[in-house]
Amino acid sequence: MAINKDAAVENARKDLAQRLKIDAADVKESSVEDADFPDMALGAPEDDEMSGMMITRGWRIKLEAQGKTYEYRADKNQVRAYQFKGKNYRV
Amino acid sequence: MNRNNVFIHLALALVLILVAAFAGQLSRWRKEWKNHVRIVPAAEKKQPASAEEVALSETRSFGSPEVLVKFKSGVSNEAIDALTARFHDRVEDRIENAEGWEAIDDLDNADATSIVAQYSQLPEVEYAEPNYEINLEEANEGPLVPVLPHDPQFNDQWALANSGQRGGKQGADISATLAWATTTGTDKVVVAVLDTGVDYTHEDLVENMWVRPATMAPYHDDELGTIDDLNGFNAVDTAADPMDDNGHGTHCAGIIGAEGENNVGIAGVNWKVQIMPLKFLNAGGSGSTKDAIEAINYVINRKKAGVNVRIISASWGSTMKSRALGDVIRKAYENDILFVAAAGNSSVDNDRTPHYPSSYPNVVSVAALDRNDQLASFSNFGVKSVMIGAPGVDILSTWLDNEYEEKSGTSMATPVVSGVAALILAKHPQMSAVDLSKRLMNSTDPIIALKGKTVTGGRINAAKALGE
Repeated sequence: MAINKDAAVENARKDLAQRLKIDAADVKESSVEDADFPDMALGAPEDDEMSGMMITRGWRIKLEAQGKTYEYRADKNQVRAYQFKGKNYRV
Repeated sequence: MNRNNVFIHLALALVLILVAAFAGQLSRWRKEWKNHVRIVPAAEKKQPASAEEVALSETRSFGSPEVLVKFKSGVSNEAIDALTARFHDRVEDRIENAEGWEAIDDLDNADATSIVAQYSQLPEVEYAEPNYEINLEEANEGPLVPVLPHDPQFNDQWALANSGQRGGKQGADISATLAWATTTGTDKVVVAVLDTGVDYTHEDLVENMWVRPATMAPYHDDELGTIDDLNGFNAVDTAADPMDDNGHGTHCAGIIGAEGENNVGIAGVNWKVQIMPLKFLNAGGSGSTKDAIEAINYVINRKKAGVNVRIISASWGSTMKSRALGDVIRKAYENDILFVAAAGNSSVDNDRTPHYPSSYPNVVSVAALDRNDQLASFSNFGVKSVMIGAPGVDILSTWLDNEYEEKSGTSMATPVVSGVAALILAKHPQMSAVDLSKRLMNSTDPIIALKGKTVTGGRINAAKALGE
């Protein structure tokens, strides 16, 4: 099912809270921008993941928690944590 | 002055008046001739060569200062005559079998490019291009007449015929309209689209979809069991068919083989072909190496069972190297199946940072060009590892739900090359994968932007690819 920008931000916020083991209310939205990503994994492929080489329109979501900034990437099909502690994750 | 001198002067004056009057009439006749002389009967013109007779040389150059102009339907011959007269041109031929096309000669001998630009700006004109002269090696010496489909969105397919629409560079295309004078493809060639699946019910694809022949048993794999592969293969869910749930695979399929001349949507590089859908990318556009390998194995086994599948088009990849994937691609190649793959969209040099599967041996790796013959800003490159360039920016093709969308990526450039490979096989059905690969590499137009960036330094040219 397609997701919209607000739902993508909410999913990202919940995911970050889980990863950091903190309350979702302590995760602040820093910025959300429209972005073109280089592929269908939004430039954030997991290990051993192949993806379509099509420029994909989506959103770059920046969240703040515990004094750090975290990046998520999303489009209508998916939300991904980008380089969280050096790795990419599909949410 | 004596009487004789008066007569002599009168006679001289009379002669001068007659000469002046005759010269004036001559001038009027000349103007009239310029405005009206036209139309060489088509029967007297050389007709395009048949598919078997045409053999293009590798050079393509401008011929006489002529252009071919396609006027929009409803524009009368009188209106066309008036327009050409305004530019001091003349209609040299109304081309038979190419409705709406006029061969126009410029009486001022201006260069073809500027004449094309002049006509392209007119609201009455659908399309204009130089009358390329292609050297034929056999009996037919006349120029090929470009073949244009009546698919309503064809004019937006700059990759196939770039008239400079939307700020593009006229001629920065794959010369598809000239290639189609030789062949528009055949349903005897099967191209596997290894992707998110294909919407095999799309109105512009349905006639060109592979379907397992009634005489062929459902697919059996010792590990996977028996699979009903009536419409292709789904490695994500082997119990399901390969219907596309994303759109990416349907887009790639349309570039290769949207049905041409059906008065619907667009035309593929092949008007006629068989597309075999293989699904290994999920609805989000991602998939695993294992599923890719299973799908390629399926293709190899179907080839061994008698399906004439000769090309796998792979518009995907990653930087992760898999020996198993490389091995199965080699196995496909050994079975005369050519693997064409996207170079990647990270703007990096694949010679330094390889991208797979495009960087495996025996793979035709494809970079993306824009409508101005520039390397797309996102495209990977590699003078040792990326073979060829093809249009890959703002490419219009089929999408889910009988829609059409413009997309960009080396994903879009890849099926252009796969499509040209299928055209070659339509003309040379026995050509091996090795020779097919070589043929593609030798069928490019040099592009400055690709010099030192790809092995060939050129953009694929379908018309050259069909030469002898």
